Amino acid sequence: MEEQMNRYESFRRSGFQKAAMKRLLVSVTGSQKVTMPMTIAMSGIAKMFVGEIVETARIVMSERKESGPIRPCHIREAYRRLKLEGKVPKRTVPRLSFARFSPTQL
Amino acid sequence: MNASSSGKARAASSSQPSDSSSKRKRGIFQKELQHMMYGFGDDPNPLPETVALVEDIVLEYVTDFAHKAQDMGSKRGKLSVEDFLYLVRKDAPKLNRCKELLSMQEELKQARKAFDVDEEKLAASLD
Repeated sequence: MEEQMNRYESFRRSGFQKAAMKRLLVSVTGSQKVTMPMTIAMSGIAKMFVGEIVETARIVMSERKESGPIRPCHIREAYRRLKLEGKVPKRTVPRLSFARFSPTQL
Repeated sequence: MNASSSGKARAASSSQPSDSSSKRKRGIFQKELQHMMYGFGDDPNPLPETVALVEDIVLEYVTDFAHKAQDMGSKRGKLSVEDFLYLVRKDAPKLNRCKELLSMQEELKQARKAFDVDEEKLAASLD
């Protein structure tokens, strides 16, 4: 029972650090106008996505009758399934990202 | 933007996170991911290689998601949180969670503002 409480506490309290998520969004969008609401929304969405990966990985493990900590092969299969379900944003066109250019090149 | 920060933006050509995640083993989300994965059902001590792979996947997810939001935003001129919400409009649990988080943040903002105003009134009344 205590294990469940610990797990639940981890579930509730865990989250992506706001500063790091904001830095990531700024570097990806090449924009300084990344607001707190955007950071909060992205963090929430990303956390739920991690949940989908972990839950699917556990399903894969039970299908294979495996136990113990989740291994990368389970994650890879979970990721593949989530892509098939359309739960992963697709890369359409190779994007020009301003984040890749140094200031002198722009 | 200097070259080191661009390492976080994945090359657009790859469609799979690479098996050798050594390119991005910065572990910027490593600590939180360990707790998160445990919370969602992994072992109390998730394997480091599993956490590293999930981090790669999450970085790619956020990158692609933000790029798509930006494509939405550019049509209306500026990136906004609405563009993020639009991308999860068909995913009810994610959409509802976002709305919940955003309204909580707004409430906190208003509460802090009210606190500041009260402090000023108090200070004024003591003069």
